Amino acid sequence: MNDAQTLAVEVIGIEQVTPLIKHFKLAPVGGGSLPVFSGGSHIIVVMQGAGRVHRNPYSLLGSPQQLDTYEIGVRRMEESRGGSHFMHDTVKVGSRLEIAHPVNLFGLDKIARKHVLIAGGIGITPFLAQLEDLHGGSVPYEMHYSVRSPEHAAFLERLRRREGDRLHMYYDSEAQLIPFEPLLAAQPLGTHVYVCGPAGMIKHVIDTAQSCGWPDSHIHWEQFSAPPVGDAFEVFLARAKISVHVPPDQSLLESIEAAGVEVPYLCRGGVCGFCQTRVLEFDGQLVHNDHFLSDAEKAKGTSIMPCVSRAQCRRLVLDL
Amino acid sequence: MSAVFKPHETFRDDFSFRNSPQAIRRFPLPFSEDAYMYSVNIEPHLPGPPGSVTEFAFDVDEHYVAECRERAIVLAAEPLRYQALPHMMSSQWDCLELIMESLARDYPAHFSLSKQGNRWRWINRPLSLDQEFTFGDAATLPREPLDYITRQAQGDFVVMDQREGDLWAEAGTVTTQADWSLDFDLGMTFKEWHGPVPLAHELGVFDRALKFLLNLRLGQPVRRLNWTMTVHPRLDTSPENYPHWGPDRATVTAQNAGDLVHLRVELQGLWRLPRSNAIVFGIRCYLISLRELATIPKWARRVHRVLRDLHPALIDYKGLTRYRDAAVQWLAPFDDGAPTTPGAAPE
Amino acid sequence: MLVTGIKSKPVYAPLQADTRGRYHLMLGTGVGAAPLLRVIAEMRGAAAQSLQHTRVLFVPDLGSGSELEQFEAAAVGEVRAFPNTPALLAQFRAILGQSLMGTRLYVAGPESFIGLAMKIALEFNLNKDEIRAEECGSLARRVYCIHCRATTENVRTNIVRCVGCARWLLVRDHYSRRLAAYMGVMADAEAPGELPPLKEVFL
Repeated sequence: MNDAQTLAVEVIGIEQVTPLIKHFKLAPVGGGSLPVFSGGSHIIVVMQGAGRVHRNPYSLLGSPQQLDTYEIGVRRMEESRGGSHFMHDTVKVGSRLEIAHPVNLFGLDKIARKHVLIAGGIGITPFLAQLEDLHGGSVPYEMHYSVRSPEHAAFLERLRRREGDRLHMYYDSEAQLIPFEPLLAAQPLGTHVYVCGPAGMIKHVIDTAQSCGWPDSHIHWEQFSAPPVGDAFEVFLARAKISVHVPPDQSLLESIEAAGVEVPYLCRGGVCGFCQTRVLEFDGQLVHNDHFLSDAEKAKGTSIMPCVSRAQCRRLVLDL
Repeated sequence: MSAVFKPHETFRDDFSFRNSPQAIRRFPLPFSEDAYMYSVNIEPHLPGPPGSVTEFAFDVDEHYVAECRERAIVLAAEPLRYQALPHMMSSQWDCLELIMESLARDYPAHFSLSKQGNRWRWINRPLSLDQEFTFGDAATLPREPLDYITRQAQGDFVVMDQREGDLWAEAGTVTTQADWSLDFDLGMTFKEWHGPVPLAHELGVFDRALKFLLNLRLGQPVRRLNWTMTVHPRLDTSPENYPHWGPDRATVTAQNAGDLVHLRVELQGLWRLPRSNAIVFGIRCYLISLRELATIPKWARRVHRVLRDLHPALIDYKGLTRYRDAAVQWLAPFDDGAPTTPGAAPE
Repeated sequence: MLVTGIKSKPVYAPLQADTRGRYHLMLGTGVGAAPLLRVIAEMRGAAAQSLQHTRVLFVPDLGSGSELEQFEAAAVGEVRAFPNTPALLAQFRAILGQSLMGTRLYVAGPESFIGLAMKIALEFNLNKDEIRAEECGSLARRVYCIHCRATTENVRTNIVRCVGCARWLLVRDHYSRRLAAYMGVMADAEAPGELPPLKEVFL
């Protein structure tokens, strides 16, 4: 996708739901309804900041049956490259934003016999929409939600009311940890687990599920982390015939976009493979931060995922 | 496109199907040059020129009413030509919405759709239908949503669930197919149901196609053309009914090939569906006899050459073995060896 | 119709232990015992504690008693013998209903047995990562007549008379996991009576 296919929306509501998380309601400029989506989908929000453009993915947390507004939750990140600060500090009711059509890279498996949903902090957002799809259906499910303390549990009332004892809360402040091993070891055949939260939690769930003998196809995860920072470097785009400077706190993809060259993208998080770009030449080292290329492909050095990967090199030439 | 329907055309028994001169000229010839081999020939399903088969999302032509009647006949005799696994209900509603909204938008003289929240009213004038129903509540429709709407659309539809990094054919209406069975293939993955296609696997065609489709975006459908040949303008060339149409292949001669042998082209469209995140595969079938084709000199030359030089494995797989030579002989007098212009458009 | 070399024919491989599984469920008939015993021996070497979580369901060949003794001597969690395949499959379904994630399924025997076991496994959302199958014994096929939809069992020849409609069917390589059968299509529709020579090919 590229920015040509965006929709114009207006912020019609902002609520501080926890000390760190704001809940935004977006409505289409000019009225009407927004595109239909499936639970687990995210949108890319394009924010015109001072001197740079931010493109951040946020899960849609509203009900897929309610299309007059989209709802997203944004956590204020301490070490931010600016996107979450922009949303928290600059965006007001009435602000206009551009958003891309929803994309779902974190869908529920339709033939699962049971769903186990695990969220950490802001990771609750995709599950809120998925729970709307699951509620009242015939497939059993459980929601396990871990947060620092009760005041940091976004949307807790809404969840409690809807889900009752299908919801299990865990507070770090009360030393309550999700018992991953007993939880995953006791699930019946045909269960799928879905996790969204900090990288450490995701890794822990994946490792535990695998050690309990779960096949990878039953383990689903989504992570929206900022692209890693690194040393500044230069890149030459062979077809556009321009040289682009990549500063430490801007990703390779963002820098290329800032120079006016479009690269197809979907998740901007190194997972989906959509932005895969051919490396024509490099003299130095490619820093692969993605989850898409195989180890062999990374070692070969002929491809790079510009959304999250970088380089430490004297020369880098891309087929763009 | 002309609003004149030919409701009494038949695709069986007396085979009264014929193309008008307009229908002939807009026929989607799948050969842009004088030879044919597979490729992943996918392109964005953007609006084509006015009057063309790709102008709208779903093409409705002069054969619309007759084809809907033909579908009803097949489904009455064989209900298993429509199947949907239980978990595909949300994709059924997605398809109903996609087809109704497209037809009402693109052919407002024939179809109307009005909505009050979830209460919808659908009017199909050519088929004299006026249906009020609640979107999402299957009890308010006379049939399952996919069954209901595909009986009012030309071409077959297969719905594929996306999971485990693959696509699974798990619902569909298949009554106008070129020799494959929904009943048999239901539940298969993308490469499994393409198993019988020769050569393409070695060329990597399906690996690339699958990877592309897994990333298919909402609002960005794609299309491609596929082709084979049929004896008589018979839409139902299913494996199920092979005992009925198989014998036709042995009745073709160099004299009657012009009227019996038909080029059969599939305009295939693929759409991502919003609620289910599944993909619907529409297979719209166009038929033209060699005699009708030959009224366009460029096409006569081109089709003669394509058939004459076709790879033997393709001749076998497309079922042309018994009558390929007769077809080539019938077309030969129209081919004076002159060059043809690139592209499929008639000159 | 007569295409050969279709890519939708299932491909099997010699069974190997999957030590990433926690529970191991093994199904076998007749000569399928040998691959299962081999996997058990492999597990004894690499992951002996897995043997406690291993169950074997088995239909012995008439007149042979030694496989059962070998399974019992292997000290796996449970060994059960069944008089026939339907009895084994019924118990298999009951066990799956109580099974947990981390289960691995191993099936050894003729393809028709494997197909029927896989059909049941599909109901519980077991996928290819959790199932290993080795084909041994007869290659005889189950054939689904695409015209009358009857299934003809135990087909060893390239063409066969359908038990439902009596047509001669060409036995194709196109296979359906859902139906656990190969497709049979009328062999002489285009030239009635003209059949390829009958050959025993699936022995």
